[in-house]
Amino acid sequence: MENQTFYYDNKIVKNFAYATLFWGVIGMVVGLLLALQFIWPALTFGIPYTTFGRIRPIHTNAVIFAFVGNGMFTGIYYSLQRLCKARMFNDLLSKINFWGWQLIIVLAAVTFASGITTGKEYAELEWPIDLLVAVIWLVFGANMIGTIIKRRTQHIYVAIWFYIATFVTITVLHVVNSLAIPVNLFKSYPIYAGVQDALVQWWYGHNAVAFFLTTPFLGLMYYFLPKAANRPIYSYRLSIVHFWALIFLYIWAGPHHLLYSALPNWAQSLGVVFSVMLIAPSWGGMVNGLLTLRGAWDRVREDPVLKFMVVAVTAYGMSTFEGPMMSTKTVNAISHFTDWTVGHAHIGALGWNGFLTFAVLYYLIPRIFQTQLFSRKIANFHFWIGTLGIIFYAVPLYWGAITQASMWKEFTAAGFLKYPNFLETVTQLKPMYATRAIGGGLYIAGIVLGIYNLILTIKAGKFLPEEVASAPALALAEGKRGSGEGIHRWLERRPVQFILVALVAILIGGLIEIVPLYLVKTNVPTIASVKPYTPLELQGRDIYVREGCYTCHSQQVRPFRSETERYGEYAKAGEYVYDHPFQWGSKRNGPDLSREGVVSGRQYKPNSWHYNHLLNPQRLNEQSIMPVYKWLISDDLDLSTTAKKIRVMQFLGVPYPPGYDKIANAELMIQAKGIADDLKSQGIEVEPNKEIIAMIAYLQRLGKDVHAAGTPTATITGK
Amino acid sequence: MLRDIFTSFGGVESYGLISMIIFVVFFALLILHTVSLNTKDVENFSRIPLDDFLKKSEEIQES
Repeated sequence: MENQTFYYDNKIVKNFAYATLFWGVIGMVVGLLLALQFIWPALTFGIPYTTFGRIRPIHTNAVIFAFVGNGMFTGIYYSLQRLCKARMFNDLLSKINFWGWQLIIVLAAVTFASGITTGKEYAELEWPIDLLVAVIWLVFGANMIGTIIKRRTQHIYVAIWFYIATFVTITVLHVVNSLAIPVNLFKSYPIYAGVQDALVQWWYGHNAVAFFLTTPFLGLMYYFLPKAANRPIYSYRLSIVHFWALIFLYIWAGPHHLLYSALPNWAQSLGVVFSVMLIAPSWGGMVNGLLTLRGAWDRVREDPVLKFMVVAVTAYGMSTFEGPMMSTKTVNAISHFTDWTVGHAHIGALGWNGFLTFAVLYYLIPRIFQTQLFSRKIANFHFWIGTLGIIFYAVPLYWGAITQASMWKEFTAAGFLKYPNFLETVTQLKPMYATRAIGGGLYIAGIVLGIYNLILTIKAGKFLPEEVASAPALALAEGKRGSGEGIHRWLERRPVQFILVALVAILIGGLIEIVPLYLVKTNVPTIASVKPYTPLELQGRDIYVREGCYTCHSQQVRPFRSETERYGEYAKAGEYVYDHPFQWGSKRNGPDLSREGVVSGRQYKPNSWHYNHLLNPQRLNEQSIMPVYKWLISDDLDLSTTAKKIRVMQFLGVPYPPGYDKIANAELMIQAKGIADDLKSQGIEVEPNKEIIAMIAYLQRLGKDVHAAGTPTATITGK
Repeated sequence: MLRDIFTSFGGVESYGLISMIIFVVFFALLILHTVSLNTKDVENFSRIPLDDFLKKSEEIQES
């Protein structure tokens, strides 16, 4: 077969590498600011754009989609061309992928800071940006699949299977979870509500971890680890089992984020069972990675690339052991809503994703700049300071999590909660939060050193934008299976069929979990006393979503004595049926709010308390770490959106009477005036059209309907 | 029809068991299949990342 000469596009690799470094610093510095706000809440500077609830999504999105996302594209664009022995399918698509992705990141940062958010964790982007994400993701997919189709190799290597699974699954997850009805350009309501929204969201959320943070990086591991070690992959057979078992099992695990919630037990059990089983393929992958180094461990001592890879793969192993453990109900009862989850997530993000990204960058930047790494010493120092940073980050959080969970659950000999004031359990953690911030600071210092090292490497080298290569043209192979050719061997040379089989594998779990929740009515028993929100409460709820209150406050009381004593009645599926989106939260930096409005409840506070608390939390509790929300007092409520919001809710099945949109604002003002008058009687002058009135109305509604139902089991009317 | 299948097939509680069976059967077959793969082929595939077919531009121009 005739040898063909062609050129690898290194320019796109370089662009993504630069973007990775840039967004990595931005995303982690925002993370450090968040960590410091736990110690000094005044670091929000009293302005809306820097409050915890608004910049937490900036941090998570910047790290996941900007730093790790660009890192993933860097590695894929580099390795895919070489594994396919072909230039990327289309240079224009590569450029659209790059610039489109950067535009999305900028739009995300601007909209989150402005409070434009869907209020769904890791899927906070509003619908116009969601559409842009879908387009750019499809551009990436078309470019990748086009490259695979025009490849010059017969066999599609295992790394590419993981890239394919990433593309296919993220497409499905993003589309299904983002389905929403727009109110205007900046606001939409998801088509799902309550329990169903929670299940879809965590099916998405968990699998964003699986298919954005894990599978593409496993693909990178399968390419870059053998390259860096100059050793073949340990077991190709294991990689086949690893791949299929992982993508099949991962998709089922989402409900482990909702244990002890109002989600039906059968769905919770599926989540637990499949999460525990996940340890097998995950460790299969880790073992395959580490054993690839057999006979090359002496080089780990010298080579910073291998050092980063070893710790990355080890962190993957630790994290994928810890994840299944946290998915068991016994451990989850302690770990959920605490900093354990944050520690777990950062072992994965800093260790697995962060270190593998730096291994890839240290590997490929000297190569595309035709030089050696400027300083191995600096790279080694980066490695050690980064490793130390991870330890200083995670250990105090684990410690703090167990401390806080124990305090939440502790009773006195007389049978009362020992720490009834939630704040006591937060102030106890401040030393741990300070140590965590030091850990984050060390990690960022390592990155700054890494960037310095790479800049000097780049300066010393000469960029090779078009890297020449040659390979024989691919002979057209028979489409049908040859004699003696196994099914998998056949699939490994048929990209379209491979994509279809992978799609089926990832759809099974999602369908079996999600579809019954819609079709079987008994899964979400309705409660007669649960009514739609009033227009003022609905507006207040949207402000609650805008300010990201769910990032610190849950709305889900678990059926533990320690929680029902502290908050009130445990959560039931039927109470959330009008919640578009659900706001259960995943972390309690403050107390649960779902029983806040129950007048006879432990959590109840009068309107004046809420007013003063939102104006200045530290005036009521000196130790409080909640930011001030003084703009809620000065900003007018946007009444122009009320009617449209009611119509969208009606479209989604919320039973407002016909024509209610026309009288909604009038009803809103009547309720608002009532709250303003009550505040006035307490000596607080505030106009009824201010945002704080709506926020108070919403907070005072929480839990009231369930409480009105009396004994819940007697009034549930599920069919 | 879909509703009938999902609601009448032993109830949703049986989904976990059904799913486990699907998983175990599928992966038992997958493991059997991978064990039966030709060892020489598998070794070649595991070396793919090391086999870049790359040549420096000078080498290609010379050839």
